[in-house]
Amino acid sequence: MHVELVNQPGNTAAKVSLRPGEVCTAESGAMLAMSSNMQITTTTHKKQGGSLLKAAKRLLGGESLFLNHFEPQNTPGEVWLGTDLAGDMLVLPLNNDNLIVQGGSFLACDEGIEVDLGWQGFKSLLSGERIFWLKLKGKGTAVLSSFGAIYPIEVDGDYIVDTGHIVAFSETLQFSITKAGMSWLQSILGGEGMVCKFSGRGTVWCQSHNESSFGQLLGPELKVRG
Amino acid sequence: MNNTMIDVVLTGELAEGISFEQACATVEKLFKLPAEQARQLLETAPRVIKRGLDSETAEKYRLTIEKNGLKVRLQGDADTAAKSEVLAPETAAVPATAVTSAVVAQAPVEAAPAIARQETAVSTTATALAPAQPVAATDFAGLKFRIDGSPDFGFLTVQLPPGQMLKVEASAMATMDTNLVMKTKMKGGISRMLSGENLFLNEFTAENGPGEIGIAPATPGDLIHRYMRGETLYLQSGAFVASTPGINIETKWQGFTKGFFSGESLFLIRASGEGDLWLNSYGAIIEIDVKDGYVVDTGNIVAFTEGLEYSISKVGGYKSLFFSGEGFVCRFKGEGKLWIQTRSVGAFAGWAGQYRPTKD
Repeated sequence: MHVELVNQPGNTAAKVSLRPGEVCTAESGAMLAMSSNMQITTTTHKKQGGSLLKAAKRLLGGESLFLNHFEPQNTPGEVWLGTDLAGDMLVLPLNNDNLIVQGGSFLACDEGIEVDLGWQGFKSLLSGERIFWLKLKGKGTAVLSSFGAIYPIEVDGDYIVDTGHIVAFSETLQFSITKAGMSWLQSILGGEGMVCKFSGRGTVWCQSHNESSFGQLLGPELKVRG
Repeated sequence: MNNTMIDVVLTGELAEGISFEQACATVEKLFKLPAEQARQLLETAPRVIKRGLDSETAEKYRLTIEKNGLKVRLQGDADTAAKSEVLAPETAAVPATAVTSAVVAQAPVEAAPAIARQETAVSTTATALAPAQPVAATDFAGLKFRIDGSPDFGFLTVQLPPGQMLKVEASAMATMDTNLVMKTKMKGGISRMLSGENLFLNEFTAENGPGEIGIAPATPGDLIHRYMRGETLYLQSGAFVASTPGINIETKWQGFTKGFFSGESLFLIRASGEGDLWLNSYGAIIEIDVKDGYVVDTGNIVAFTEGLEYSISKVGGYKSLFFSGEGFVCRFKGEGKLWIQTRSVGAFAGWAGQYRPTKD
């Protein structure tokens, strides 16, 4: 699987080239276009051994329940992937270094990577953002997407990130959900609410914009439902 | 380090005394291309013809091509420039003499973040005063125009010679010269009204001397230009931005099944004739050469050439139909060109829908 990103950073799309026999797994609804020899199968999880329980867990993760698997027939093929919102993408080679990805940031991966739902404990419930995060493990290429620009932070020691701005982080990092200000009142009035405090050594990838902040700004401008 | 990443861009401008036909022949010979492809290359110029060269090789290319009466410009690699811009702005300029850092409006896979950023900073009216500003001027057979802000925020500025008329999508005009006079025309009558496309096209005529018009499409995204020589293009309704009078704009009924299942508009716009045509998109535009077939999400089609046949079908099995998130797709067959956009209005609206207030 070879991934090429075009039109970065605002209107990024990923062009995934596949040889016969290679399979690309992508978030449902991400396909923009593809060569006509591409076969799509939709499953609840990875092609092998997907169970309904896992699928249900994925649903809770804010990801859709289903994943699409793209496999070219006979000749090489390509598939273009995009997102709903404007923003950048990131191609990450994984070499058995596990990655925790925020639900909405997963875009695609190749067969070498297993997508699992990581339960981050009750502490993440408090964060007010996506409760579940995906755990990517194995050897291969992963493609992540973000709302806005994406930038890595090398953490050595402690670092604090707003929960809505996390794209992914290395599993080597410990994290806890905490308040941003000195007191809870300050945090809530300051509009920061909860933040994620990382400790240890590893990388956190952050996005410049926060999906739910934008949504809340947009919401009142939209027509009332029903 | 910057010297190693230079792109050679064929601007499409011709030296004096060279006709379009001669230029085609030159390109054909120089790049050993079939005649048709050479012609296409020139028609869709400016185009990147060589990527990632070191400055010496790039300069050689430039000399050879210019000797043959075609114009090229060299430009620094967009990514390199983008990164170095933050650290030291002056290092981003590759060989200062050659680089005009212009937007390559038509290059399909042209990520030019640094350039786009510069462009947005440039006020459109200031360009007449400052010729050194980044400009994507193209003057072959068509009108002079420039596109700023691609691929994120495409903005089109067209120079109209005296007496010249330009058809523009309704409400897309952002700025214009006082020499221009606007007339609103109903195009295509009732069928156009049904297409969901604005019923009215505005016609801007430079009646009292030359004029300039600035056009801002409704969606943030890319703009592309085609100089049409009698061919026909089909556009998704909404993709039309502007054209010269030689281009005939009609709406075309897709048939009940095609239109209905696609979830998109029942009509496509058919553009044919000779002249300039500008299209826009929501998101960046990607150009795809279709050899034997291609599948596109119905919400991501911008335009396609006449040679392509299409049908609406489901993406995989029935399970995929309901659960893949893709629903129906457009299957193209045959040979031709296809333009897709990297974002879709429908998908964005779907995302925004979850934030809609509920009635209580």
